[in-house]
Amino acid sequence: MTLLPWKRAVRSSGPQTSAFEALAMPLLPSLYNVAFWLSRNAADAEDLVQETFLKALRGFSSFEPGSNFKAWIFRILRNTFLTSRTGLAAQRTLSLEDELTGENEGPALYPEAAIDRQTPEMNLMLLSDRAALQAAMETLAPSLLEVILLADVEELKYKEIAAVLDVPIGTVMSRIARARAGLRAALQASMNPSKPTGTSREVRA
Amino acid sequence: MSDHLNPALLSVLADGELSPAQLAATNEHLAQCASCTSNALFQSLLKSATAKAGQRYAPPAQSQDRLARLAKEQSSLLELSTLRESPHPLRALGIAGWAAAAALLLACGSIIVFERDAHQAAIISSESAALVTEACDQHIATLAGNAPPQVISTDRHTVKPWFQGRIPFSFNLPENLPADTRLEGADLTYLHNQPAALLLYSIGKHRVSVFVLQRTSGDSNGAVSAEHAGFHVSSFSTHDLDVVAVSDIDPIRLSGLVTVIEQSQDGVRK
Repeated sequence: MTLLPWKRAVRSSGPQTSAFEALAMPLLPSLYNVAFWLSRNAADAEDLVQETFLKALRGFSSFEPGSNFKAWIFRILRNTFLTSRTGLAAQRTLSLEDELTGENEGPALYPEAAIDRQTPEMNLMLLSDRAALQAAMETLAPSLLEVILLADVEELKYKEIAAVLDVPIGTVMSRIARARAGLRAALQASMNPSKPTGTSREVRA
Repeated sequence: MSDHLNPALLSVLADGELSPAQLAATNEHLAQCASCTSNALFQSLLKSATAKAGQRYAPPAQSQDRLARLAKEQSSLLELSTLRESPHPLRALGIAGWAAAAALLLACGSIIVFERDAHQAAIISSESAALVTEACDQHIATLAGNAPPQVISTDRHTVKPWFQGRIPFSFNLPENLPADTRLEGADLTYLHNQPAALLLYSIGKHRVSVFVLQRTSGDSNGAVSAEHAGFHVSSFSTHDLDVVAVSDIDPIRLSGLVTVIEQSQDGVRK
């Protein structure tokens, strides 16, 4: 219908790629932060973000304008992490430690700490120590850490998190509840080192 | 304690994701329960504290510059390659037209012949696959989280009543379990976007997650045994319930547990 359709095609691809810069660059600090939490070191975090940018740029034509770019690029970051060296190592470490934990704990697989008896004052004390909270976050398994970062730090809605993780919303709810229970248990354990809850666990590659 | 709000609900409350009806019911309860109000406050404070503590790492300045340069370079390269790879418009239009016509013809023929059966089979198969995937995913999350269950007990008379008022259905737990099998506790969870009872068993050192949820469709999947991501999945349906068990234990021992759970449901079947 138009005389020079190729010109129209070139014109539409120009703004697309510069639109990528406009959309992606403001998210760089967030992507780097999550990448560092997941990979646990600066070099791997930089590699992860760089690879995410390259993949996102290559696949940008498949991104639907008007849909959620943040969720889209975080999904790429997450998938890139899962297939990275550190991501695979984290998964291997986790499964090995599951085995070891099971053996050490004997028949009782869960600790006796299901019911909360904290006072509001105790709760405030638990949360006032930022370093303790960061240490508690480090003890979370990657699948729980990523969901809590997306929900609390990146303030994504459940629907968006479900799209990033490619899981149903019910799973997102369940993981967030578990992550928070894990954080609470780890914080309580840090307040009372003599009374281990057994819910926190070092997960390091 | 059975009247208190469960932590999962309070977590959703802190995230502002409750439906208006759930929010109204929750607020009504919070207005008269100091313990739940304290827990809700903690969840909310934990969320904001985590938001601050989670913003921990900033990219170095040189890294930001490098990535900005990279994005610019790649953008230019992409534009160039788009220019080069653009086919002659008329030829491309012709090929695309013939291809589209052929595809349309083929698709129409196929659709007329197979539509009904394929559609029905696809729905059942995709629903079943989604349920298996979600159950496995939650089982992995349970293993990875290593958090205590909401009710910790080996006694079925403690575990079953705990669900009263929490789920809109009932189920039975077997009295006699296979050798080396033990009930560890239970959680309230969500599967297929509906509340489900998650029963946690151990067989030796292996853990088993058994999801019990209310049947919403009339179509029965029957007894299913499958493998997903290295886990064995065994399921059965009664008139009112769908039950899915996931574990890495060998399928025979898993189906042994599933069979006794199925037999125990006789009392709640219609």
